[in-house]
Amino acid sequence: MQITNVLRNKISAIPRVSVETRFKRQVGLILISPWLIGLLLFKFAPILASFVFSFTDFHLLNPDQIQFTGLQNYRIIARDREAGIALWQTIQLAFVIIPLQTFVSIVIAALLSSQQLLAKNTMRMLFFLPSIIPSFSAALMWDGFVDPSTGWLNRLILGPLGLEALNHFSYGDASRLLFIISSLWTIGPGILIMMGSMQGISNEIYEAAHIDGAGRLKRFFKITIPLITPAIFFSLVLNLTAVFGGAILLDRGSRWRNDFSSYDGYVNFVLFDMFKLGYASSLAWVFFVIVMIIVLIMFGTSKRWVHFPDREN
Amino acid sequence: MTAALKRFSKVLPFNVFVWILLALYLAPVLFMIVTALMSTSQLDDKKAPLYPARIVPYTYDGQEYQLYNVPIENRIQPMALIKPGRASSLLIDPQHPENGLIEWRGDWRTLIGVYEFHIAWENFSHLFDSMPVSKMVGNTFMLAFIGELGVLCSSIIVAYGFARFSLPGGNLLFYVLIATILIPEKVTFIPTFYMYIKVLQWRGTVLPLLVHLFFGNAVYIFLLRQNFKSFPIDLEESAMLDGAGPLRRLVSVIMPQAWPVVITVSLLHFFYTWNETRLASLYLGPSSSWLPVSFAVQNYQSLTPIQNVIEASTLIMLIVPVLILFLAQRYFMQGLIITGAENKQ
Repeated sequence: MQITNVLRNKISAIPRVSVETRFKRQVGLILISPWLIGLLLFKFAPILASFVFSFTDFHLLNPDQIQFTGLQNYRIIARDREAGIALWQTIQLAFVIIPLQTFVSIVIAALLSSQQLLAKNTMRMLFFLPSIIPSFSAALMWDGFVDPSTGWLNRLILGPLGLEALNHFSYGDASRLLFIISSLWTIGPGILIMMGSMQGISNEIYEAAHIDGAGRLKRFFKITIPLITPAIFFSLVLNLTAVFGGAILLDRGSRWRNDFSSYDGYVNFVLFDMFKLGYASSLAWVFFVIVMIIVLIMFGTSKRWVHFPDREN
Repeated sequence: MTAALKRFSKVLPFNVFVWILLALYLAPVLFMIVTALMSTSQLDDKKAPLYPARIVPYTYDGQEYQLYNVPIENRIQPMALIKPGRASSLLIDPQHPENGLIEWRGDWRTLIGVYEFHIAWENFSHLFDSMPVSKMVGNTFMLAFIGELGVLCSSIIVAYGFARFSLPGGNLLFYVLIATILIPEKVTFIPTFYMYIKVLQWRGTVLPLLVHLFFGNAVYIFLLRQNFKSFPIDLEESAMLDGAGPLRRLVSVIMPQAWPVVITVSLLHFFYTWNETRLASLYLGPSSSWLPVSFAVQNYQSLTPIQNVIEASTLIMLIVPVLILFLAQRYFMQGLIITGAENKQ
C-alpha cells in the first residue's frame, strides 16, 4: 500500500506529458521501430559481440577452443608495426582526400548550378557518371589510362604539354597520387547534395547582395558557402565514412585496391588470411573508438561553423 | 534568333571551360570506350593511332595481307606486305598487282601501316560467350527488386517517423541514426559474418544480401527525412482534421510530394545493387545460381588478360545504369536537399 503511494507520488513528479504528445510519441516509436530493431540486431549486438571477441583468441578454424585472453590482443596491437603504419597511412590519406573531395564537389556543384550552363541535365549526368562505375572496373580504367607506353596520360596530356612522361604508377608516391586523384570519382552523391542545397538558396538573397555591390566571388563566399554548410557537413560525414570504411552512400562494390595498405585492408588480411577473429575484432574496436572520437569532435565543432537556419529563430 | 546567338556567345567561354574540365574528369572513361572498340592486334602495335583502327587488309591470291607505307623510289607508297623479313621483304603493289612480287630491302618492322577506322565488335561477344549474362542480369534485377522493396518501405516509414513525430529523448535517436552511418563496417562485420556463416548456415543463400535491407538504411532515412521536413505541414494538418491516420497521411499527403527524392534514393540503391560484389563474394561464392552480374563480371575481368576485352565488358556493364540515369535524370538531377532542419529543437 505504502509502495504504491510512493510510486504514485513519483509518477506525478514526472512532468505531465499531454495525452496527445504521448500518443504522438507512441506512433513515432512504432514508425521508427524497423530501424530500431535493425539497430539492435545489426549494430549494437554485433558491436558488443566483437567487443567480447576482442578479449579472446577466437579463431575461425577452431571456434570451439575459444579462450579468454584478457587484454593480450590490445597489448599485441600496441606493438604491431603493420597496424600502426596502416592506421597512420589511412589517417594521412583521409586528411588529403576528404578536403579535396569536399572542395571539388563544391566547385563542380557551383559550376553545374550556374545559369550560364548549357544542356544542364546532360552535363550533370556526365559529371555523375564516374560514380556509377564499379570500383574494380574503375581501377582497371585508371591503370590503363596511366600506362606508360599505351595509356593516354603520357601520350595525350603530359606529352603535348611538354611535361616529363611518368613511367610507373604501381608503387610509391605516384601510386598514392593516382589513388587520391581517382578518389574524385566517388563524389557524385556529394555533388548532388551540394547542388540540392545551392538550389535551395532563394534568388532574393543574391539579388539583394548584388544591389549592395557584392561581386560574384564575394556572393559565393559570403552567401553560398555559409548557406550550404549543412550539406558540407553531411558530405564530410559521408566522405569520412567512405575513407574509414563505414556505410557509403554509393558503395560501388569492393574497395578500391584492397592491397593499398589501409587499416581496413590490414583488418581484412588478419581476418581472411589468418582467420584470427579475436585479433581482428580488437583491431576493429581500436579503429571504432578512433572514428567515434573524430565523430564527436566533428559534431562538437559543427555548432560553430554549420549554419542551421532553425536555430536562429 | 540573333538574341539567342548573342546569349550563346556570351555563355560560351564558361561552357568551354566546363567542357574542358569534364573532358579531364572523364578522360579515363573515354580511354575505356576507345580501348573497348580496339582490336587486340592494335593494342600491341605501338605505331597505331589513338582511335580504334586496323591496318587496311588486302586480298591477293585468296590470302589476306596488310598494307604498309613503304618508301620506294623516293616516295612513300602503300604496299601489301606478302612476306615480311628483317633484311628484305616481298611486297605487292595494290594498284598494279599484275606486276607481281617486288623485293624491298629493309626491316619490315620499321614500316608504318596504312590505318583505317575499324571497330572490333568481336570484343563484345567475348563476355556473352563466357557466361550466361542475361540470366545474371535477371538475378541482379531480382535482388534489386526485393532489396528496393525492403529498403524503400522501411526507410520511408522510419523517415516519416523522424520527420513528423516527436520521439522520446528528443533528437537523441536522430543523432544515433547519423552516428550509425559512421560506424566502421569492420566492427560489426565480424560477428555478423560469423552469425550468417556458422550459426544460421546462410552461406550460398541470398539472405545475407537482403535481410538487413528490410530494417532501413541510415543514409536513405536521413535523406528522406530531410526532404519530408521541407514539405509544408498544413496539408497534413487538414488531412488529420478529416480523420486521416498517420499511415494514411504518409501515403496520400507526403508521398505525392516526395517522388523526386524517393526516385533518387531508389536509384542510389539500384546503382549500389548493380555494382555490389563484396557481399556476393563473401556469402554467395562463385558457383551460386543467384550470382549477380557485377560479381561474375568482376571475376571475369580479373581472369581476362586482354585489356580491350576487359574494357568491352565494362562498357556492357555500364549500359543499364547509364540508361536508367538518363531516363530518370529529370528527378535525379534536382539534387539532394539537405537543410539544417535536423537541429530543430
